[in-house]
Amino acid sequence: MDFARKVREEVKGGIAGPNRTCEYYPCHFEGQDCTFCFCPLYPCMDTELGKMVIGRKGDPVWSCMECHFTHRGEVATDLKARLEHEPMVPASPERNHEILAEMSKNHRKRARSIMVLGATSGAGKSLITTALCRIFSDRGLKVAPFKSQNMSLNSCVTRAGEEIARAQELQARAARAEPSALMNPILLKPKGNATSQVIVDGRPYADLDVSTYYDEFVQNEGMRAVRDAYDELARDNDVIVIEGAGSPAEINLGAKDISNMVTAEIADAQCILVVNMEWGGAFAYACGTIMLLPEEQRKRICGIVFNNLQGSADGLRAGIIKLERLVKIPVLGIVPHLNLTLPTEDSMHMMAICPDQGAVRVGMIRLPHVSNFTDLEALAIEPGTEVVLVSEPSQLSQVDALVIPGTKNTMEDLEWLRASGLFDGIRAMRGKVPIIGICGGYQMLGREVIDETGVEGGVPKVLEGLGLLDVVTRFSAYEKRTVQVDGTLLSTGEEIRGYEIHMGRTEGTMRALLSLREGGIEHNEGAVSEDGMVIGTYVHGIFDLPPVRKKLLSLARKEWHRGAAEVAYQEVVEKSIDQLAAGVARSLDLKSLIEHAEGT
Amino acid sequence: MSARIMVQGASSGCGKSTIVALLCRHFASKGYKVAPFKATNLSLNSYVTGEGLEIGISQAFQAWAAGIEPEVCMNPVLLKPGGDAGIQLVFDGRPLMDLKRGSQVPLDLLLKATKRAYQSLAERFDVVVIEGAGSPVELNLTERDIANMRTAAIADAPVILVGDIEVGGVFAGLFGTYTLMSKEDRKRVKGYLVNRFRGEENILIPGFVMLSARMAVPSLGVLPMLDVRLPSEDALSLGTTKTSAGGGGDAREEWTRNLDSLLFEARKHLDLARIEDIAFGRDSAAIATTQRNE
Repeated sequence: MDFARKVREEVKGGIAGPNRTCEYYPCHFEGQDCTFCFCPLYPCMDTELGKMVIGRKGDPVWSCMECHFTHRGEVATDLKARLEHEPMVPASPERNHEILAEMSKNHRKRARSIMVLGATSGAGKSLITTALCRIFSDRGLKVAPFKSQNMSLNSCVTRAGEEIARAQELQARAARAEPSALMNPILLKPKGNATSQVIVDGRPYADLDVSTYYDEFVQNEGMRAVRDAYDELARDNDVIVIEGAGSPAEINLGAKDISNMVTAEIADAQCILVVNMEWGGAFAYACGTIMLLPEEQRKRICGIVFNNLQGSADGLRAGIIKLERLVKIPVLGIVPHLNLTLPTEDSMHMMAICPDQGAVRVGMIRLPHVSNFTDLEALAIEPGTEVVLVSEPSQLSQVDALVIPGTKNTMEDLEWLRASGLFDGIRAMRGKVPIIGICGGYQMLGREVIDETGVEGGVPKVLEGLGLLDVVTRFSAYEKRTVQVDGTLLSTGEEIRGYEIHMGRTEGTMRALLSLREGGIEHNEGAVSEDGMVIGTYVHGIFDLPPVRKKLLSLARKEWHRGAAEVAYQEVVEKSIDQLAAGVARSLDLKSLIEHAEGT
Repeated sequence: MSARIMVQGASSGCGKSTIVALLCRHFASKGYKVAPFKATNLSLNSYVTGEGLEIGISQAFQAWAAGIEPEVCMNPVLLKPGGDAGIQLVFDGRPLMDLKRGSQVPLDLLLKATKRAYQSLAERFDVVVIEGAGSPVELNLTERDIANMRTAAIADAPVILVGDIEVGGVFAGLFGTYTLMSKEDRKRVKGYLVNRFRGEENILIPGFVMLSARMAVPSLGVLPMLDVRLPSEDALSLGTTKTSAGGGGDAREEWTRNLDSLLFEARKHLDLARIEDIAFGRDSAAIATTQRNE
């Protein structure tokens, strides 16, 4: 075979170092070693180095297009020396595996790490992590974000179909890396009653209550998942920017809190502590957090960041000097409040993004278990549009369009709708304003929701839906669909994309909303009422691209300025990441962090 | 001299105002004549007393909680940020001047007003429940801050610290506040409590044991997060945007009802007997720990 002959030639003689006479040079990176144009270990099947793809003939083939491993000089030299002693070249797959394992031990890297801790939740850890990812990526480093455990109802689906927190997806984007479950090995989605759905490595693992989670899961399965994911990520990157969770000084939890100092230890990370100035008491929170950590953990903290300053920093200097003297850790700087358009994790302050007088007012039903309300952010940034929360019937009269968002618990929230009086209120809005239900909201819009096995609430139950769409939803098994989708809006043929995260199936005979492509097959999705004013879909992120946004707003009660729909949300986000990175870089003394990241 | 107790917070919006209202209601329910007091208030939400004098809205609600009508000496100084115009200084209920950016609040004047107003309450009431402002340890402000430890000194009041657990880091917030106080100020601190907790209280106990040992003051309990609508002083503690509900009832009555249900819960979760002892200077345990601490 041609391949085997070429590999033998490479091992016998060939070129060492870069081959600048080759017309394809540099096919990977400037200065690459061209000893092995054809990799002798192909197909290594090492998923850190390559992946299976669908080839031109439609068959699965091993692709290692992005693998730089054998093009690093020291790796090529070592590999060549090893192969010269092999009785057979190329070697058997088993032997190749052994060779690669030995080579990996010697040459695969372990990333340096920087960890962003917070004195509280909402300190701005997530944004500072995002900023550092972009700052390091801009310096040419291969960067990945990592958060061992995230509690959030706002998740998204990676290309591989794994579910991770939105924050890590945004950070991956800032790092210019492909989002992966490795970046967020444990995701907790609170379900109420001190119970969370636990997602491990991107897949649903179990529903656990607080004490089972901390006393059993965390110490065993949890630690393993965190360690494995981190190790794998570290082998393939120059630097990992780790985000902590909540405060590292929850002294009642001690070693049960694996997402802060335990992770810092696994990664041997240098830590910075972020403190939100908005609520006051920032000096106290900084000092208290540091003083409550045991000595060996305190040593990891190399800087304090004051975040979210509104107003002037004049006059803070004296306080900062006092604090530095007391805790013996430098303050790296003060980051002002930055006005950015970025998906938020758990706060709902998106509502303040466009507080526009005379705007089209989109009401979002404030379901008790609302999840993925980030869907609405793309609407909130639309000029001339404002998103408000609706939690009681009297507020319905003030909205021009209505969105029923996703929920972690359709059954319970449907019962809440009834108890709150919103059930009849929403029905009375039929035909007056456009009503769109996403995911759980879509399920509620149907005639009936049938929980056959108690998937949602523990006991089998049938509830009447709002009856605005002629569809029925059934929960039959504990299974969850998590997939990225793209396709078109059927009424206009315009492109849309998004992702689905749900349990249950919804069926009916109504006109569909979307045509989705999935694995080469097209199928219809969603439902639209006869008059077009009631819409249901499972697709999250449906407003990110203009078509559905445009549709909803053009149906809204008020005259709406159509030209405005062309704001491409993703572009705004990309620009915001750059602004965030610039703002953080301007405000902080990053010298020592950059030196650490670059290993200099 | 009346009994008195001061509530200080590890951060703004940690629930000081509500705790003060709660204590006012508690003391009133036990038959004491009780009044709220806050030396200076930074807020755009104000109330006008029967005499036409302007005070912070929180002190008005606290007065109603105490079963009395609001009066100006419950909040002698009100600062109303007005954007470019600067801050309007409302002094004894009347606008005195606009403080331009960078100009200093006339400290002597404010201290005198604080003393006079507090004295007036202390002479007429059995108990005064005093609210601090923001955090007492804003290291850049301590020299100009009269609403916290300076007021405590004027009233010679014992202090209890409140930490908000909702955003996490409550142990750090409380411990940091205590640590950054001067030795003198620390002696005034007689206890701490945790506000807005969701979940099983037992999970916090190991933390309290450690914290009480390091601060040498006792935990006074954990107030659970309750979904009761209480007026908030500023947008900070509003949480989510709410459009007006147009309910129709008397908001003040509804609020007092809500406060009663909060008090019902508080009686189960807070050591109110000990808080009384602290206010009346009978808390031997706290005194003993303070002495140990010296």
